[in-house]
Amino acid sequence: MSYRNDNRVALENDEPRLEIREKVTGSAKYTTDYYLPNMLWACYIRCDFGDARLRSADVESARSIHDVLEVELEKKSARYHGDRIGYICAESRQALEQAIAALKMKFAASWPRTMLEEERTALEDLEPAENDVQAENVIDTCDLVVQGEFQTQVQTHCCLEPHSCVVHFRGDSAVAYGSTQSNVAFRDDLARELGLRPDQVEFHCEHVGGGFGSKFGMDNEGRLAAQISKKYQRPCRVVCNRKEEMLDTGNRPGSLQHMRIGLTRDGKIRGGKIATWGSVGPTGGGGGVSNPSRYDFGTIAKVHQDVHIDGGFPRAMRAPGHPQAMFAIELMMDQMAVEVNMDPLEFRQLNETSELRKEMLRVGAEQIGWSERQPNGLSPGPIKRGFGIGVADWGNRPGTAAIGVNVYRNGTVEVLSGAQDIGTGYRTMIGDVVRTYMGLPRNALVVKVGSSDLPPGPASGGSVTSRFTAPKAFLAAEKARNRILELVAKEWKLNDASGLNLEDGRIIGQDQSIQWKDACQLMTGDRIAILSDEDGAFGKDPTGSEAVQFAEVAVDVETGIIHVKKIVALQNVGLPVNRNTIENQICGAVIQGLSFCLFEERVLNNQTGTMVNANMDMYKIAGPVDVPEIVPIIWREQREVAVNSLGEPPVVPVPGAIATAVANAIGVQVRSMPLTPRKILTALSEKEAKS
Amino acid sequence: MNQTNRPMDGISRRRFLQGAGGGAVAGSAFVGLTPTANSNETSAPATRSGITRYPAEGLKIELQVNGTTSSVHISPDTTLLVALRESLGLTGTKEVCDRGACGACTVLVDGRSVNSCMMLAIDALGHEIVSIEGLGASGQLDPVQEAFIEHDACQCGYCIPGFAVRSRALLDETPHLTREQVKQGLCGNICRCAAYVRILDAVTAAATREQS
Repeated sequence: MSYRNDNRVALENDEPRLEIREKVTGSAKYTTDYYLPNMLWACYIRCDFGDARLRSADVESARSIHDVLEVELEKKSARYHGDRIGYICAESRQALEQAIAALKMKFAASWPRTMLEEERTALEDLEPAENDVQAENVIDTCDLVVQGEFQTQVQTHCCLEPHSCVVHFRGDSAVAYGSTQSNVAFRDDLARELGLRPDQVEFHCEHVGGGFGSKFGMDNEGRLAAQISKKYQRPCRVVCNRKEEMLDTGNRPGSLQHMRIGLTRDGKIRGGKIATWGSVGPTGGGGGVSNPSRYDFGTIAKVHQDVHIDGGFPRAMRAPGHPQAMFAIELMMDQMAVEVNMDPLEFRQLNETSELRKEMLRVGAEQIGWSERQPNGLSPGPIKRGFGIGVADWGNRPGTAAIGVNVYRNGTVEVLSGAQDIGTGYRTMIGDVVRTYMGLPRNALVVKVGSSDLPPGPASGGSVTSRFTAPKAFLAAEKARNRILELVAKEWKLNDASGLNLEDGRIIGQDQSIQWKDACQLMTGDRIAILSDEDGAFGKDPTGSEAVQFAEVAVDVETGIIHVKKIVALQNVGLPVNRNTIENQICGAVIQGLSFCLFEERVLNNQTGTMVNANMDMYKIAGPVDVPEIVPIIWREQREVAVNSLGEPPVVPVPGAIATAVANAIGVQVRSMPLTPRKILTALSEKEAKS
Repeated sequence: MNQTNRPMDGISRRRFLQGAGGGAVAGSAFVGLTPTANSNETSAPATRSGITRYPAEGLKIELQVNGTTSSVHISPDTTLLVALRESLGLTGTKEVCDRGACGACTVLVDGRSVNSCMMLAIDALGHEIVSIEGLGASGQLDPVQEAFIEHDACQCGYCIPGFAVRSRALLDETPHLTREQVKQGLCGNICRCAAYVRILDAVTAAATREQS
């Protein structure tokens, strides 16, 4: 572990996240925890099939149920399981459930489109890319050509806190609670729906029970809650149940990826052709696959097709398009390495685009024990051991945000941000930046985030929240500190504050010092209020959030069960702020990636389009027993760079690292996710039949 | 402390199913059961041959939650989870899967962990319920909660009350827990952010501390 000890976080914050106590005692209030007096309940009426027409529904029976106020059917034809065809409003949750049952809906279902591989345009019929001829020419001149097709499944976000909203419309104002990754967008959407100005809507989202890319804007839940609240001038609550959450709040689209790549005999990739298909909803798009990326693939002719499926629509999901792409790319890299008879690590070093990642690959190999890796399939015994590699990076750019810092006369430092903490530790990061930069202990710090009254923050998508806000927080901290230092300088009758330092809660001059709290008493007003919406000198160069992961797996070739034993996850985070939240985030991403690679899959009934596992007992998510040993390595102390993106990059390399490790173990690639025991056994028996 | 290591006395999946199907509960569970104020005499629970029928419009029952007795109005189909959250305002207990697959709604019933979404409120009569809000003794945090804090054992935090309550029960069930046993013991709980590493660290540390 010497490598970790060398890389102490730049700001030396090893304390747990700020809100942990509220979360561990159950006092943290999420949107779903608001039950307002005199509140109405509403929900959508949904279609049970993929492509169906409503034949009959007993609306009168549903309306006659005690406490039901409204039952409205708004359309007859539905495009996917979970599609909204109407709504119900009632005085109680029980009445809603009874009304849904009383509807006794009957549908006429058509044959739905459910399978990506059947609905796609065939490879040879795709419109060729502009540089198709060029890429063909490159392939023609190559010593070797490697070809493969890879498949990934649909993954649902399955946020534990469902999509939800509670709205209280009060005529010329409204108070609302919504579970979201974008307070500003949610508030604006609600204001529009309610016919109010944004300033008339007080919006709260202090805690979010997970988003993963599926919670931007007010969504259908907010819209219905707003409409009902406005109509009845009463609070209204709309909360998805688990089934609705699985069906109609987004997913990571499935993919098919075909690659034909040429390379030289000495292992240099020259170029080739890549076709990808993404499974999207009955209309629209969003199925893009980020293939090629990271490695230098030379001249690539790339085509992509979004393929319509009669299932729920995709939404951005934690690094949209990336983990599925790297699954295919890493397997392809390994296959090419085999063709040129090179070690996969060496082959990657040769075709790597990033100098930083080359170094990370070297260190990661040491940490996992790469030298113990056997050639593919040559691990002895029925439990085969294998090693694999995955890589990633993430685009970083500056953006707009504002951070407020208030210093009160009693010494309390209040950090304000309207951005939301979706579980990443944003609240902690912003607070630790301010108090560490100022030189204050944590008990002087109060951080308030997630409400529309606070200075506006970005939407938490694309891993930008910390990246956008941290420079503003540094600048606000500097300004606030300087204001107090100036008061002290004046008190000590110094010409200016340039000789004063603030360390460990104490302001130190040449021959005297004063406690922070006493210094704050020097102010005449209630507080010093700073608002910072610029980066100033803190707008430093971003780095690439580079990620490299190594996986060690054990595969039982008799049962097909994969046991991920260890993952070494190296992560460049730019300037690291809080060690706990960073390591926690890396480990969580690794396990979520593992879960995607091995377990999760939306299963649609091919006859009816019904999602058969729209729940948490049949939709398998990694649990405590699936957790491998994880070694998170925060890459190198970097004081002269910006705080970088962390939410998405560490989830990207995982499927590729595990899939290549499995292939190394069993001697054959499984090119379809999730890597289930059945697929492992099938691949093994096919391999045996060939030999 | 409300947690005891008593054997399961009647709270089981089978009993839940009996209760839901035929409205049958053990005779000993009648303490604290009264019909609602506005219901007439025919709405009172009727008992014959050990089978109890409850009035469909609901009734008032007294639940012992976190050391105090609270009166709540419930229907025969009200789950303990809904009674806690919506009638008693104890929103720390979370509803996630609503079918016993994720553990977010875990509470203690006579010291044993139970998925409160899978238990009817009526079946909680006569039993000691402890929710996350009552986990520690008299205003103090439970050592398990302290360990969660020390290890930053959470991300979004929505699953954490369930994990903390289940961990308390696990520590009471099994002395000398290894990390592997902690994994097995928590396998009914799901964390979507996958903060498992820190959760396992915390519970293992709490177990080590309690055994020494």
